[in-house]
Amino acid sequence: MKNLFATLGIVLACASAHAAELRVAVIDHKGRNVADAVVLAVAVDARNALHSHPPRDAIDQVDKQFVPFVKPVFVGSTVRFPNSDNIRHQVYSFSAPKKFELPLYAGTDAPPVVFDKPGVVVLGCNIHDWMIGYIYVSETPFFAKTGPLGTVSITDMPAGEYTVRIWHPNMDRAEETTSRRLTVSAEAPASAEWQISLKPSIHVPRVSGSASPSYP
Amino acid sequence: MATSAALNHDDNVGNAKNHASVVADSSAAAGASFLQLISIADGFSLSAGGDLSGQLYERLSGLNNASVDGLLFLKKKWALGAFAPWTRLGVSIGRTDYADRYRDATLYRASLEAGKRLDERWNFWAKYEFERRRAAPVEYNTYLYGVSSDVFSQQGRSFKAGAEYQLSERISLALGSLLRHGDVVATSRAGSSIYAYPKALAPDPTFGAGAYAYRLAGTTFGARLGVDYSLTAHSLIGCGFQRLETHAQGGNNYTDSVSDLTWIYRF
Repeated sequence: MKNLFATLGIVLACASAHAAELRVAVIDHKGRNVADAVVLAVAVDARNALHSHPPRDAIDQVDKQFVPFVKPVFVGSTVRFPNSDNIRHQVYSFSAPKKFELPLYAGTDAPPVVFDKPGVVVLGCNIHDWMIGYIYVSETPFFAKTGPLGTVSITDMPAGEYTVRIWHPNMDRAEETTSRRLTVSAEAPASAEWQISLKPSIHVPRVSGSASPSYP
Repeated sequence: MATSAALNHDDNVGNAKNHASVVADSSAAAGASFLQLISIADGFSLSAGGDLSGQLYERLSGLNNASVDGLLFLKKKWALGAFAPWTRLGVSIGRTDYADRYRDATLYRASLEAGKRLDERWNFWAKYEFERRRAAPVEYNTYLYGVSSDVFSQQGRSFKAGAEYQLSERISLALGSLLRHGDVVATSRAGSSIYAYPKALAPDPTFGAGAYAYRLAGTTFGARLGVDYSLTAHSLIGCGFQRLETHAQGGNNYTDSVSDLTWIYRF
């Protein structure tokens, strides 16, 4: 047992010693902070592409909206879709990485969904057409989403070289065009800023005008 | 659940043909609606609920009214997703009570609607509706031509079609059209020769002494252009302009323009 703890201690110490951090800020073409941008860092050295067990995640439905609006998950993750509204929802996706449909349900009755292919999965509700959400299924374990200030930190990365790219649901160009090669070291956090152009966010409106035969 | 408030201006409230009889007025309206959606089978949903609304006129206070409606809709969505075509059958029964009680009426409606959203920007819909309005015959002492005094009981059929276009993140445009055939009520001064053959006739003191309401058969063509601005995810304000042209029995053709400013909040 003593040997086991000693070995674990050495491993943790080594991991800590080599842990690096990447800090990213994302702004739009007008200099405004961009929230809900997914930052992905792909290790150039395959040995640094650590594989952890795919976590369990959740996307809630609150006030007839998906919460969060954007959810990055690691490939292979299992995602639950609890429904916190007091009405039933019917969640679906037509996206190539994961086509699925959860028949009408309330509460936590829906079975979890495994996202086993990388890419963008657009979510909808067949009852409430304005509901839209995004799951970004990442092929790399090093990813995070920007907050309201447009910033994010990816921590516990092995020091080394990474190809970093950005994705946002309203980005007007392919995410591959945002790729940059960055080196992160254990000595100090690496910082980078991206400026991206966003398209207008045109969605099915929740409220229609008085002359419209809207919901339900 | 939704609530709304509106300001309207109607340049010919009484649907009069003759310039001397035309009365314009503005009104303020407020309403609340509650619909409970129940999914009953794959693609089918049932909605049941009601509307409460009221309207106050600036000048024609006799038209001030309060309404209550019971609504029932059966909707079929023909595929999965926001862009799937849909159809909806609806029935409603409503009651409107006016300040001038002789206008009080019960309104029955049955409708069939269909729609399809092409993409995030374009939405199209069409609606066929049958409506029947039952009011008590107006009681008055003067004998007028031996014609029925049941002037506010009407029925008609209408076809509406519309398109909406999402111009930007917050602004949408709406275009609607109307074709209606059935009874129309026009209020004018007594003795107008064009009203020689009304289906029903009665004094209409709401529009002043000497005004008479005539029920005629007519066809109405209409168009509406509206602009809506989303304030929040739950609410919008919008304004619209509607132009109506009616060709009624006996050559009684009249026009009517209604402009509106609306606020809607959907919970």
